[in-house]
Amino acid sequence: MKNILNKVSKTLFGSLSAMTLLMMTFPIEAFAKPKKITVGYLNLVNAQLVTKNLGLIQKEMPGVEVEHIKVGGGGDMLRAIAAKQVDFGGLGNPPTAIGVTRKLPIDGIMVLNMLDFVEAMVVRTDANIKSFKDLKGKTVAAPFGSTTHYLLLQALADEGIDPSSMTILDLRPNDIAAAWARGDLDAAWFWEPNLDKAVKRGGNIFMTSGIMEKRGYPTWDVGVVMKSFAKKYPEYVEKFVKAECAGIDFWINNPAKTAKIIAEELSLDLEDATRMMKGTEMVPCKKQLTSQYMGTSDDIGGFADTLVKTSKFLVSQKRLPKQLKRKDYEKFLDPSYLEKVVD
Amino acid sequence: MSNNQIKNKRNIKRFIPPFMRKKTFAYSMLTVNILFITWVVVTETGLADELFLPGPLKIWQSFIEVSTEGYQGNTLFVHVFTSVNRILAAFIMACFIGIPMGVLMGASKIARALLNPLIEFYRPLPPLGLYTLLVMWLGIGEESKLALLFLAALPGLIIATIQAVQNIDPVYLRVAKGLGASKKTILFNVYLPAAGPTILAGMRISLGFTYTVLVAAEIVAASAGIGWMIWDAAKFLLSDVVIMGLIVLGLTGIGLDIFMRFIGRILMPWTRYLGP
Repeated sequence: MKNILNKVSKTLFGSLSAMTLLMMTFPIEAFAKPKKITVGYLNLVNAQLVTKNLGLIQKEMPGVEVEHIKVGGGGDMLRAIAAKQVDFGGLGNPPTAIGVTRKLPIDGIMVLNMLDFVEAMVVRTDANIKSFKDLKGKTVAAPFGSTTHYLLLQALADEGIDPSSMTILDLRPNDIAAAWARGDLDAAWFWEPNLDKAVKRGGNIFMTSGIMEKRGYPTWDVGVVMKSFAKKYPEYVEKFVKAECAGIDFWINNPAKTAKIIAEELSLDLEDATRMMKGTEMVPCKKQLTSQYMGTSDDIGGFADTLVKTSKFLVSQKRLPKQLKRKDYEKFLDPSYLEKVVD
Repeated sequence: MSNNQIKNKRNIKRFIPPFMRKKTFAYSMLTVNILFITWVVVTETGLADELFLPGPLKIWQSFIEVSTEGYQGNTLFVHVFTSVNRILAAFIMACFIGIPMGVLMGASKIARALLNPLIEFYRPLPPLGLYTLLVMWLGIGEESKLALLFLAALPGLIIATIQAVQNIDPVYLRVAKGLGASKKTILFNVYLPAAGPTILAGMRISLGFTYTVLVAAEIVAASAGIGWMIWDAAKFLLSDVVIMGLIVLGLTGIGLDIFMRFIGRILMPWTRYLGP
């Protein structure tokens, strides 16, 4: 209902503003400035926390109200995007593959982070799990539709293990931590800051998303913008990218200060924040334009291949009705803002 | 009209269930048809984005597909069966506890004073807020799901029963007592028969409310159930499965309600027709 109302009010608002534009003289559009922007950020450890904490986006956009909304996981973010509740968002590769294939009106504009051991599979120490085969008959949790769910099923497929030989449960990260504390789970593949709670309560790390990257399954989060917003306020997308790039640079150049910020943002100990930081790889914006990541506008990079691979997998899981060609995933990736910022 | 024709007409009428012969049924059908036609028009003309509102044909296809091939390992029947089982188990439990509690609270001021704070406090709490705690206490298995549904069903039952008992005409009680009826006789032959219809109405409302909590109850660590199916499909933007699931959920709810009314009429034949 809210969605429909939202749409109705947006169309009304859209046509009204179009009329005012027509009535007024043309140079207005050059000064197009949003009243407010909403940034949905994922509840994980990356430089978006730095950008938010230091108010870097606000600095780039004086006079614009900037609102940050914390979103639990990719599935929730997809819904927020579909309901047009955010202007900017962050998505892992599986939700991105879903969103792009289902033709959500979004563009991928930058790399937020590459996932290393900040995402990992934790196993109960006394469950005696030494290999994926030992998971048979055990209870394993992962947030469905997320990067870790994708890696779990991909790893099982590679080892030739039938996923139905174990119980795989769909739980959100905070619920995993709660269920783990009760002893309901034998293994779980999820991410910080909740991952640490499981490790501290009788768990040890068995597999990390970084190891899976080396096996050819990189996972990452990409920054996205709503197409309608990008069309209306292209300079503000550039400003956003600039602010996030500054956040990434800050992260790389000031690790001690960054750890303090993360500890503050996520209510963690400094020591834990420092370790979690190391588990996330930040890519400097200039490097994002290389073929391993976004690539350039003329030659889209490896992210498109990851999306093709992820979609193919999701189709085999019947989570996606069909798969698109690489060309279509290339269209989603738009490094042009990055190119302008880096130059 | 000849006798024969009248006879024929009656014969045809015999095959139409009584509720369909009513004029109100025609009006109800009008609403359903208008909704359906709007749906077709909006989707066929491209007014609605297919991602958010797929056409009826798409929904039908997904119904067939999920019924035959299943959704994530279970067929539609299994999903519905799992959910209806959960709901009925929790609801029956709630009836066994809520109705006696309500009779007690309706008949005794002391019992009401003792139990009221508890019920009045948790009744307005949002189920999801409660659920986090239930998961921590009872784990991620069936227990926490049943507990949530049970807690959703309980207050409606208790409140309706209290009302029902308090509204009993005191003359009935006085007459029964005057004729020397025992407490047991009063309970079974005065309280329950007189309060029955209102309790049944409370049960129907309570069952409806339990239904609304179903999706919430199946969000955490379920792998079957119609609520879970809707939740999971929404995550992957499979809106055809979501809408199909909602329609099936709605129809199952109507089915359960009809079933309740049927039981009510058998148990309490003195009850007036309770309306739609």
